[in-house]
Amino acid sequence: MTVNSNDCAVEVRDLVKVFRTRFRRREVRAVDGVSFQVEPGTTFGLLGPNGAGKTTTVKMILSVVHPTAGGASVFGHDSREIAGRLPIGYLPENHRFPTYFTGAGMLDLYGGLSGMDSRERRRRIPELLDLVGLAGWGDVRLGKYSKGMLQRVGLAQALLHQPKLLVLDEPTDGVDPVGRVHIRGILQRLEEQGVTIFINSHMLMEVEMFCRDVVIIHHGKVALRGKVKDLTGSKGFKLSAQAVPDRLRDDLQARAASVAARNGSLDFLFPTIEEANAAVDLLRGEKCLIEGLAPSTSTLEEVFVSTVNG
Amino acid sequence: MASRLLIQTGALLLDTFREAMARKIFWGLFGLSTALILFFLLIMRIDVVEGATATVTLLGFERTRETDVTRLVRGAHSSIATFLYSVGMFLAVFASAGLIPGLLEPGRIELLLSKPVGRMHLLLSRYLGNILVVAANTTYLVVGVWVVFGWKTEIWSPQFLWAIATTVFLFSVLLSVVVLVGVVFESAALATMIPVALMIVSPILAQEKTAIRLLSSEWSRQVWKWLYYCLPKAFDIGRLTLDLVRQNPTGDLFPVWSSALFAVIVLGLALVLFARRDF
Repeated sequence: MTVNSNDCAVEVRDLVKVFRTRFRRREVRAVDGVSFQVEPGTTFGLLGPNGAGKTTTVKMILSVVHPTAGGASVFGHDSREIAGRLPIGYLPENHRFPTYFTGAGMLDLYGGLSGMDSRERRRRIPELLDLVGLAGWGDVRLGKYSKGMLQRVGLAQALLHQPKLLVLDEPTDGVDPVGRVHIRGILQRLEEQGVTIFINSHMLMEVEMFCRDVVIIHHGKVALRGKVKDLTGSKGFKLSAQAVPDRLRDDLQARAASVAARNGSLDFLFPTIEEANAAVDLLRGEKCLIEGLAPSTSTLEEVFVSTVNG
Repeated sequence: MASRLLIQTGALLLDTFREAMARKIFWGLFGLSTALILFFLLIMRIDVVEGATATVTLLGFERTRETDVTRLVRGAHSSIATFLYSVGMFLAVFASAGLIPGLLEPGRIELLLSKPVGRMHLLLSRYLGNILVVAANTTYLVVGVWVVFGWKTEIWSPQFLWAIATTVFLFSVLLSVVVLVGVVFESAALATMIPVALMIVSPILAQEKTAIRLLSSEWSRQVWKWLYYCLPKAFDIGRLTLDLVRQNPTGDLFPVWSSALFAVIVLGLALVLFARRDF
């Protein structure tokens, strides 16, 4: 995940944020020397338990929070500069769009703030409403939108000015399963178009399905980083069988990494495919019923939990 | 770059207008102004103007009666200017106090700051948008009343229009305090109370010469002077407004420029604090 800093979509260098309480001046070190890089065109997930410092890190990338030390850049521009925020589309968690706006009115405001002229906004707004499945809702006040619809119109807002970097904080929060699939489809198309997607989420299954690279933050520090496929790589081969005699079970248990009983079946986990095949031969020799043999991988959730729990 | 700044400023001003309309601030002030215009339209037709004109026509004392009507119009203009300057100002401050804390609400400010807009640009546009909302209503009321009086009496006293400038000026001074309090405390209640308190103490502090004569200790005289010179001079600017409307000679402009300096310093402080804050 190390690339030339000029080629990075996002580069975070030794980022530190210390919050001080107003009166007692007590220090809280929310982010403590975080560094990572996000390659352009990739899908990146920032993970961590509650209070780990994820949102503060994202806010420092967006210049909503000022770093105590270190810095962040977006496509080579310091994130504190206006140029650093030009290529960003952002959907915050718990966003609060003013309810006096209609969907189209809200998009018009944020399009204007992104520097889009009125002709471009008039062209893009119906396109975006259609893209997020809200065609026909543009003239309805946001106060009448459901949570899922607000999330979708929020995504439209983030995409309006065709950003090169999309920063999404819990993008499918409050969205029903059909809506989630729809949003994932939109994000997949954007990824194909070369847009860098940066997701800050608790939904590990979604991150696992969608992101290529992840960083796990814990206690304000980077606890783990890597490619999802490497982190969740093969941990062995699972062999399931029925009617295994006790003697053979003891023999296989000595060879296997683990054994688990399930509804009259036994699941053996073998470190290599050769050991799994040898076990198949022994089981067939005893006329046991083989239910299945498949590679077994760790889930991102398992990786996350083992990282966070040390 | 310049066009982007213009587009962004336009969007922020429009947002302030939309929010003022949604919070019923704009329509409340507009409704009150319309009620006042209609009130004067009704009073003049029935009681004052037609009666005065009849008297002029019947008794033939044209010159005297014209002077009476002119005095009546100037008196009415002065009353409206005073009303606008006191009650109208209080309503404007009260109505505007929520616009800055509203901007800083979690979930809204993060999104605004993530856009390629400078923080100073964001806050200054909000400040300007707020002034424009009040200026639009003040202009509507003053010009409306001016037209009603001018149409009915054929006395067009353009000096009355000075009330727009002085009222909007004082509002912009008080709004700087609203902005600072809003940025520091994010409280609409405090953002109302402090400017109103400044308006209330202004006529007291303006009795500077009397107070200095009456106060026994040098220390208290210095505190009084310091407060008078540093704080906005709403009362003195109000007196200046009346002098302008009545076509009386005006005194020096110290209350105006010292109040403007106060606004610049307070607004500057608000901008610096806003630029340094984390959200």
